[in-house]
Amino acid sequence: MPPQEQGSDVELLHAVARGDEGALARLYDQYRVILFGLLVRILNSREEAEDVLQEVFLQVWKRAKDFDQLRGRPFTWLVTLARSRAIDRIRQLGARQRLADSAAQNASGEASDAVTDTLHSEQREIVARALAALPEEQRHTLNLAYFEGLTQSEIAQKLGTPLGTVKTRMRSGMIKLREVLGEETKSLLGPTSL
Amino acid sequence: MVHLDYKELLAAKALTALDAEDAHALDTHLESCGDCRSELSAWEETASFIALEAKPIEPSAQLRGLVLKSVRAEGRSQELARDFVEPGAESRAGQFKSRVLPFEKPHRGVWTSLKSFGAIAAALVIGALIISLLVFWQRERAAQQELARLSSEMQRAKAQLDYERAVVELLTSPDAHMAKLAGTKDAPGAHAMLAYDKNGHAMLMARGLPAVPKGMGYQLWYIKDNKKMPGKVFRPDAAGNGILEDQIPAVARDAAVFAITLEPESGVQAPTGSIYLVSAT
Repeated sequence: MPPQEQGSDVELLHAVARGDEGALARLYDQYRVILFGLLVRILNSREEAEDVLQEVFLQVWKRAKDFDQLRGRPFTWLVTLARSRAIDRIRQLGARQRLADSAAQNASGEASDAVTDTLHSEQREIVARALAALPEEQRHTLNLAYFEGLTQSEIAQKLGTPLGTVKTRMRSGMIKLREVLGEETKSLLGPTSL
Repeated sequence: MVHLDYKELLAAKALTALDAEDAHALDTHLESCGDCRSELSAWEETASFIALEAKPIEPSAQLRGLVLKSVRAEGRSQELARDFVEPGAESRAGQFKSRVLPFEKPHRGVWTSLKSFGAIAAALVIGALIISLLVFWQRERAAQQELARLSSEMQRAKAQLDYERAVVELLTSPDAHMAKLAGTKDAPGAHAMLAYDKNGHAMLMARGLPAVPKGMGYQLWYIKDNKKMPGKVFRPDAAGNGILEDQIPAVARDAAVFAITLEPESGVQAPTGSIYLVSAT
């Protein structure tokens, strides 16, 4: 997102930290679609995802004062918070027994076109291109870690691949992702980008 | 691991994909390494972009209202907490009832429960130890008191035995002298025996004496050539019996008269009271 919007998000978080409910509502309006999509992708359940999204914004309300713009952007902070809650929920629900809610998968395609704005679409395209540039095994390793919350050992076990290989793929994938995203996101994220 | 080894773990850390052991080691290193903390922030930024691969989805319309409602409830809860410490909160006490929100019950995991049970068990063990110590202390104290009582009784018995032995030795001594004392008109039923040896060691055994007033006692006198020499004072028991051990002055050991008068308990140098017992001249 552009520096102007990012600055706006920082101000919103500061306002939330001061107890401004309106600022929280604006943050919700701005990030609900991205975060809900992420949560549905991780949890495979709209119901669980809505529950967790509610928890996430309650956490934002409580912890906005902890946000430090020198350590990261509002987008990163919010996404990290949402993913962390979702991974916790997966682990609560049982060892990798993700809800086999195929309806949720179908639902994921229902509203996306209608709700994504131009900016987020552009970001998604950049990320999609960056991930597409990765070798399949590296992309798959990153997806297992990011969306399923698996550790390196769990990924190695799931894929039947040596742990060292998984570590190498993960690190190589992240390095390449950073390289590809680095140039393209500078224009979107501003001077303090990657 | 060295610094570079930790740096190798940062990308996986940003994906929260490290195994527990590596994660713990890295967390410890991060506490003291600003360079790695800074690099981790950059990796977290990179990882966060992966979220955009997920297809955006619109949550239900009601969710926005639920989020804001839960936030308001949280805000009221915090406000209520502040009211308890803010000056003037008492004046708003009437509003408390309608603003009270139920507290969320803390999740109690198995370990939390086990810790609670462990704490209870530890408290019970400590309580049992304290009670045991108290019981032990009380028993030891009772035993010490019993021991002191027995010791005192034994000392009294020993003193009595020594005394009786002395009496027997005196009476069976070949050079023992005996003097009988008879009751006067003030103590017609009384009588006594005075035994003494050549060294003047004397034992008086009296029977049938009247009870004495408080602060008074019977004093023994040695009389020779009309000279009255004071002896010791004793108080008889409830039956009017009394025993006195004394040392007879050398001058009074031969051809003396012995008498008992009622005198102050501290004794006097010259008789002042009535004579109750007297030996033959």
